[in-house]
Amino acid sequence: MNKAEKSRKMSYKQRGLKQALPFLLPASILLFVFLIIPFFFAFYLSFTNTRLISPIPPRFVGFSNYVRMLGDDLFGKALLNNFYFVAIVVPLQTIFALFLAILVNQKIKGSTTFRTIYFLPTVTTMVVVAVIWTFLYHPEGTINAILSFITFGNWEPIDFLSTERIAFPTIMFLSIWQGVGFQMLIFLAGLQEIPESLYEAATIDGANKWKQFIYITLPQLKNTSIFVIISTTILAFKLFDQVYIMTSGGPNYSTYTVMLHIYNQGFRMQNVGYASSLTVIFFLIILGVSLIQRILLREEREVF
Amino acid sequence: MRQRSRKRMIIINRIISYILMIILAIFFLFPLLYMISVSLNPSEIDIVNQMSSIKGFIPTTISIENFKDVFDRMPFQRFLFNSVLIVGTTIIAGLIVNSMMAYGLARFSFKGRKMLVSIIVALIIIPFEAIAIPLLLITNKMGWLDSYQVQIIPFIANPLYIFLLYQFFINFPKDLEEAALIDGAGWFKIYWKIVLPLSRPVLASVAILHFLMQWGSFLWPLMVTRGYTYRPLTVAMQTFFGQAPIYWGDIMAFATMMTIPVIILFIFLQNQFVKSVATTGIK
Amino acid sequence: MKKVVSILFVLLIFLGISVFSQVEITMWFHSGRGEEREVIEDQVKRFNAMQNEVKVVAVQLPEGSYNDQVNAAALAGDLPDILDLDGPFVSNYAWAGYLRPLDEFMPSELKEDFLPSIIAQGTYNGKIYALGTFDSGLALWGNKALLEKANVRIPKNVEDAWTFTEFMDVLRRLKELPEVTYSLDLKANDRGEWYTYGLSPFFQGFGADLIDRETYMSAEGVLNGPEAVAAASWLQALFEQGFVNSNPPGYNVEFLNGEIPLEWAGHWEYPQGKGALGDDLVLIPAPKFFKHVSGMGSWAWAITTNSKNPEASWKFLEFLLKPEEIVKMSNANGAVPSRYSAIELSELYKEGGPLNIYVQQLNTIALPRPVTPGYPAITLAFQDMIGNLIRGVDVQEILDRAVRVIDQDIESNQGYPIY
Repeated sequence: MNKAEKSRKMSYKQRGLKQALPFLLPASILLFVFLIIPFFFAFYLSFTNTRLISPIPPRFVGFSNYVRMLGDDLFGKALLNNFYFVAIVVPLQTIFALFLAILVNQKIKGSTTFRTIYFLPTVTTMVVVAVIWTFLYHPEGTINAILSFITFGNWEPIDFLSTERIAFPTIMFLSIWQGVGFQMLIFLAGLQEIPESLYEAATIDGANKWKQFIYITLPQLKNTSIFVIISTTILAFKLFDQVYIMTSGGPNYSTYTVMLHIYNQGFRMQNVGYASSLTVIFFLIILGVSLIQRILLREEREVF
Repeated sequence: MRQRSRKRMIIINRIISYILMIILAIFFLFPLLYMISVSLNPSEIDIVNQMSSIKGFIPTTISIENFKDVFDRMPFQRFLFNSVLIVGTTIIAGLIVNSMMAYGLARFSFKGRKMLVSIIVALIIIPFEAIAIPLLLITNKMGWLDSYQVQIIPFIANPLYIFLLYQFFINFPKDLEEAALIDGAGWFKIYWKIVLPLSRPVLASVAILHFLMQWGSFLWPLMVTRGYTYRPLTVAMQTFFGQAPIYWGDIMAFATMMTIPVIILFIFLQNQFVKSVATTGIK
Repeated sequence: MKKVVSILFVLLIFLGISVFSQVEITMWFHSGRGEEREVIEDQVKRFNAMQNEVKVVAVQLPEGSYNDQVNAAALAGDLPDILDLDGPFVSNYAWAGYLRPLDEFMPSELKEDFLPSIIAQGTYNGKIYALGTFDSGLALWGNKALLEKANVRIPKNVEDAWTFTEFMDVLRRLKELPEVTYSLDLKANDRGEWYTYGLSPFFQGFGADLIDRETYMSAEGVLNGPEAVAAASWLQALFEQGFVNSNPPGYNVEFLNGEIPLEWAGHWEYPQGKGALGDDLVLIPAPKFFKHVSGMGSWAWAITTNSKNPEASWKFLEFLLKPEEIVKMSNANGAVPSRYSAIELSELYKEGGPLNIYVQQLNTIALPRPVTPGYPAITLAFQDMIGNLIRGVDVQEILDRAVRVIDQDIESNQGYPIY
């Protein structure tokens, strides 16, 4: 055994916990104090009747917060809305993002500029985006004017955000507008990783563009797509800012989401105990959904 | 003959692409341009009356009246400074702490490593709003309310960024590190001198993600800041909504000043960013 | 020369000591309208300059989320010495033990000088916890030119207010004017406390209420009984039939523009309305429904139990509550001065003044929002209900839901027992 080999073996053995600890500790401590402890604290609070402000001392109430949830029709409604949002926004936004990525991935002049433009809404804070679109969506506002112009005046102006069936799709629309640029970039990165030789070979075999897309692009983008789908799903479940600012969950709870319910219960109604139990259940639901997605999509990626 | 029709196909394809790209550009730009246009319109009456016509898009008189109003109503520069300080510190500390953790998980073998990675992945899912109240109680016990650190320290370590960096490191060739090890370099030196410089692209992506999240953060600063001293832009903007009469001109002026610097920053950095996404684990 | 130096020295020591013994008081206030804010800032400045025992540090919080922020601070035991609270929330904070009763500081002649509405709103469990420098006035602002064009009678005082049928007739006639888009502005886009403050008087006018005021234990039958259903249906019809815009594009632009002749709003519209309409701006008393009701209540000052210097805090409140200071505020924001002695000093409010109708209303028909620790939940439930009402949701359904939310909150607070 020569010296170099020896030292390599040594170093391999040395790569244990003792050496790793200095690297792991700072983040671990921070995550523990500011994420894990608060999370378990929320779990603990969910078994109490703690209120934000009250002279009445909190006490243990067992599972009664969880029992109450069963009869809470707003929670049910909010949860359904979240699933509705996910079911519409995730596929549409993913497909749209892929389309944009392919469009700007062409080697033609100006595509970088367009790529930048498509990404600008993502850089704009949601608080700002919500305000701008509230203005545009107004019954006397620009969107109604455009629709009226396109239809030669046959358009009856509608109050998008105040009409029960339309309000939520309206919010979905601006959410896609804001969020799609980011996924476009991720797809773009994925596209650029695909070896050019695959396409060259296919062209020689006489495959047309569409066939190339189906048999080369899509399979090559599998991992990218999985990442996009799962991260969009998680973000979609956390939906809050837009509905909070634009509709407060109305009209008739058609844009009400679980995060809004948790906020209303915990802060506005000061019902910290109940809000915490909602949080716990909601966390479990998101965890379940992302696990199912992972299994269904069979991510072929070395995670560990 | 075939050559020519092929050429024509390419040209048609190109024209269609351009038309599509331009329509989409209008779609993505229009609301932002409208924001700027309203912010330059000094007459609230005109803004409201013209919001249904194309006239509203081009103000008849352009003035910076609304911007002046914003500065008259509150110290905008102070909020900008706070936001920049908070976001900047969080990102820099976050890059160091998160990449160290990711490196520790990717390059060392110890019992419970896989378990630790799984925990990190599970933590990604916890929404911040869910832990806001308990976190408030905890940071209060620490006596941190109304300060910079309460807006910075809890947001440095982030499981998502750790996971992204981890994925990058695990696919990162080990040869250089091995060589350095043989030369007798310590682990920290290897991480600092070799790994970090080579990971610049992925660090850039994570920094931008972190930036987007922190810059828009609203609920938390609302709960933990009181006066102007430590308050960021988002909460200051809330003052404009919460404070009737609500004037679109002022609101849009505030929104414009909050958005334009970020857009300019992004335009400068975007090439770097796009390249970096290409080499990141996120794809 | 030596003498001069020693005098200076003594002077310096004296100044130094007086600076050293100064008590610092922190005060939070909601960032109201421009004029209001300027007056408070000026008052703080003048108070700090005129004496050197107490130094007030004022902190401004955004109004939209004021209560959330105060809650967070209360939870953290981090409340300032003085804060201002929206009147109906006082009971909740008092119940929670965050406010210090002010009775010990108040001689009876001071107490008697306040409008009864101010005392009613600030009292919980027999003690006074908050005092406002002004109360609010809620009535109709009218555009005289348009009202005369539509040939409608303009009531001059509370006794000859429009009756319900007359009011509906006025709305119909105004709508027929060619330049008019909507007869009345109810500020349907001003979500939040406005809904409860501005629209609950209509429910009370129909004989309904937000909660049973005998016990404060339930809203059942009161907010979802036949009277409430009638009120809600009537209000919904105003929107559906186009008398009122359910989503006005601006805050008050259409009224100031002369497109809407009537505006249901508070005193705060006075400075702007006067500026835009001049002598055409008329104040019209709240219409008389089956009961004659208008709203009241506004922001009021309180000293917290957290304060280590309640006497010094009171010293500042005493300053704010001086009749001259009250009038300064009232002149800036148009609000009703909270003390009779200040009303006499006010050009706007004294007998025959342009805003005297508000004083009449406060003395006769104004009803406070329920004075109970359960108010925060009541107002949220009511606001939610109004939001849905405006958007045409079934009236009985939304009233029943509001009642459920209110009753559930009272139950989970064990009926808000006195602590």
